[in-house]
Amino acid sequence: MGMQFGMEQVWVLPAIPAVLFVVLALLNPLIPRRGDFLAALGMATVVALVFVVMKDYASVFHGGEFAPEGKNAFSFDWVNIGQGFFTIQFSTFVDGITMVMLPVVTIVATMVIVYSIGYMHGEVRYGWYFAVLCLFVSAMLTLVVAGNLIQLYLAWEGVGLASYLLIGFYWERQSAAEAAKKAFITTRIGDVGLLIGIILLWRATGTFDIQGIIEAAKNHEIGEKYLTVSMLFLFMGAVGKSAQFPLHVWLPDAMEGPTPVSALIHAATMVVAGVYLVARFSPVYAEVLVARDVILYTGLITAVMAASMGLVSSDIKRVLAYSTVSQLGFMFVALGSGAVTAAMFHLFTHAFFKALLFLGSGSVIHATHKQEVESLGGLHRKMPFTAAVFSIGSLALAGIPIFAGFWSKDEILHETLNEAPIAVYVILAGTAMLTAIYTTRLVLLTFFGAPRDHHAFDHAHESPIIMNAPLAILAVLATVSGFFVFDQVGKALGFPGGIGANVFLEHAHHFTEPDYAFASVATLMSLMGIGIGYAYWHGDAKRAVAARGWAPDLHALLVNRYYMDNLYQGIINRVILGAGSLIAWFDKKVVNETGVDGGAQTVSYLGYRLKFLQTGRIPNYAFGMALGVLVLAIVAIGNA
Amino acid sequence: MIPLENFLVLSALLFAFGLFGVLSRRSAILILMSVELMLAAVAINFIAFASYRDTEAFSGLVFALFVITVAAAEVGLALGIVLRLFRERRTANVDEASSLKW
Amino acid sequence: MFDRLPLPSQFDRTIIAGGTVLLLGATPVLVVLAALLVVDRITAPEFVFFLASAVLLASAAGVVLMKNIVHAALCLVVTLLGVAAIYLLLLTEFLALVQVLVYGGGVVILLLFGLMMTNAQDDPVVTDGSQKPFAFGVAALIAGVFIAMALDAQWGSPEAAIIPLPDFGARLFRDFSLPVVIVAVLLDIAFTGAFVNARRADAASAARGEARS
Repeated sequence: MGMQFGMEQVWVLPAIPAVLFVVLALLNPLIPRRGDFLAALGMATVVALVFVVMKDYASVFHGGEFAPEGKNAFSFDWVNIGQGFFTIQFSTFVDGITMVMLPVVTIVATMVIVYSIGYMHGEVRYGWYFAVLCLFVSAMLTLVVAGNLIQLYLAWEGVGLASYLLIGFYWERQSAAEAAKKAFITTRIGDVGLLIGIILLWRATGTFDIQGIIEAAKNHEIGEKYLTVSMLFLFMGAVGKSAQFPLHVWLPDAMEGPTPVSALIHAATMVVAGVYLVARFSPVYAEVLVARDVILYTGLITAVMAASMGLVSSDIKRVLAYSTVSQLGFMFVALGSGAVTAAMFHLFTHAFFKALLFLGSGSVIHATHKQEVESLGGLHRKMPFTAAVFSIGSLALAGIPIFAGFWSKDEILHETLNEAPIAVYVILAGTAMLTAIYTTRLVLLTFFGAPRDHHAFDHAHESPIIMNAPLAILAVLATVSGFFVFDQVGKALGFPGGIGANVFLEHAHHFTEPDYAFASVATLMSLMGIGIGYAYWHGDAKRAVAARGWAPDLHALLVNRYYMDNLYQGIINRVILGAGSLIAWFDKKVVNETGVDGGAQTVSYLGYRLKFLQTGRIPNYAFGMALGVLVLAIVAIGNA
Repeated sequence: MIPLENFLVLSALLFAFGLFGVLSRRSAILILMSVELMLAAVAINFIAFASYRDTEAFSGLVFALFVITVAAAEVGLALGIVLRLFRERRTANVDEASSLKW
Repeated sequence: MFDRLPLPSQFDRTIIAGGTVLLLGATPVLVVLAALLVVDRITAPEFVFFLASAVLLASAAGVVLMKNIVHAALCLVVTLLGVAAIYLLLLTEFLALVQVLVYGGGVVILLLFGLMMTNAQDDPVVTDGSQKPFAFGVAALIAGVFIAMALDAQWGSPEAAIIPLPDFGARLFRDFSLPVVIVAVLLDIAFTGAFVNARRADAASAARGEARS
């Protein structure tokens, strides 16, 4: 039997970009074109392998039943202390959730790398950029195939590291360096929670194996309160990584990184790691409904807040960042209502259309070197292709039928209506309308109306083919990826039941045709949102400017992001720096001057005094020996 | 017969005499002589135990022989050192060879 | 009358004085012991033991107390001979022989050579306080502890056994053959070291003009 590539060999997927990272990081001056083509080819290979794995995955459905017979898991002992007392395995695990994550990560990564070849052309540290992208992809793939929590945590920190390096890619710029630090430290707060959660779960079950923990929780081997606390700590990690309230503040600032990075890391993949984590543990969350409610309301608050902030932001990338935060909030609302399928489905479609939007905005920035909407406008005349694909992405985001976002958002709203209080549905639907409004605003201000900065407008040009090709592919995906939910489409492509049946097998949800009545309400709201957006921001946006006067305080609140950054800065200034100076004083006076220097001075003084014991006279030394013998003799007599 | 204790007490006294000599004498040669006394005391102990209590294996005898041998080696080497000290310092007084200190 | 003897007068006087002291010291002991022997309080071997012990300890005291360094060396000879006598009482005539040959014949001669070459005296030139009182205290304490240990232990009443010389030789050269070789090497190294250390400063160091104080 020959070597067959399948689910057991899924560890090869992260290994390829990891090798590429090492090669590119160490050798990139020696490779022609600094190795950008190697990164692109490597990623294309990984995409091909992902399809092979998916085919293998589809083959284990026997009569609609998922029967992998252990072929989807692979492990060996990595660390083994005390004969199984503390074991860490290297293990991979593949299931429906992995099957959603793998194509998302690899396809978007490939598109972004190809796009970056054009976008980053002539930039400093060109080779290093691709090396770190490979590092990121490697860590992200490790994260999604990880079979145990230690490996997951390492990968979790790995993507955080890559994110830090790429946000701070232009570290010569003060704001970029600050943003990188902010992102790292803010997510760190969540990561500490994740680590605590992992340790708590290990303490209760004695294993890091994710499936083992899920089994233990389902069999009620862990006390309910203990489990609730553990799962909330785990969710803290998700809050940090997926930029949920109150740790959402880092994501808008993360837009200091190169735009393709924002598309890959801060829209499509890394920030959904939190969603992935909660989805991975969804059987456990189903046991602890309190924790699930926390997830639901965290997601809801985030969705509303971020959408409202997106409404007033003037930076094209920041609007998209707030939109990302808001959409992640949607996903968490779905997870909090127990609708894992809907969340994963929205993750899937959102990755494509949000990557498309970011890369589209990247084209705009590339062409004009401006990213403030005050300096844009009317660009559809200069960049018709970009305007078209950006509009497709916007329609998907706004939730207009046939585009991908419609299907997944509709699914979330539908599940919310069924599973959560009606108020949640109302607020979420309102947020969906808000999404349509700010999306329309962004498109109008960027591509339509009169150019506000003629210098930038005159220099604008359509992007080269290497950037437009990924945009085109993503535009197609942003249009069609929603159809994968249909049973019929799934059957045609070899996964009967569509995404709904494959992601979350315990509650297979066969989606055959939309709930027209429900969908029409949602569509109507989206259209209304677009209408409102058009009414306020078309042309020279007179009405929107006037609207600022209605409630200046509200506008200031939104522009200042609910003053949360100021709040955090205040906390840091007063509490942390105050405590820091206290600790610094303690360290200087007590630890250093009393403890360290004091000890040293005591020893030095004693040494000065005691050195006279060292007379240099042999009889004195012999006398010491004799005393020693005497003591030994007395000890011996005492023991006898 | 002579009881074992007699030899042990004799050996202890001889050892103490030697020790006193080592600690109180200043001439290196005299210190060496006192060391010889201590070694002799040890050898008496070894032999006494061997003849009285270890008549099968009598390892003590062998060790006494080794003690004598090592003592001879020690005297030879130590005298070499004393001669060297004398040539360098014109003295065999160990009090004056006290430069190895603070 | 000493002048007519063909001996160096100093040595002569030493021997006569030492002999006198020994005689004066030993006579009372001898008398007491003889009396005890006659009234059967002690056996003949015990008589020899106590006599030898008295001589041994007295001469050992001479070694550590005598001001004159040559007298001390002569006392050492007596002590070592006394030790040989003790060995005989322990029924180990071979070791007694070795003791006389190696110590009495070798080591003492070596020490005397050392004395001649260094012109050594236990001169009372002291740089700072003597530790003699402390030395006495420690030595007394150690003697006390050792004696207490020896008397405290339950030895039973074992008898000294004669260890045949062939057995001893067999044990020494069969079971302890490797240590014997090692000790031989040690001796070799020690004397080589002594030679290297003690030989006169060679031409090279003379050429360097090493000042000797």
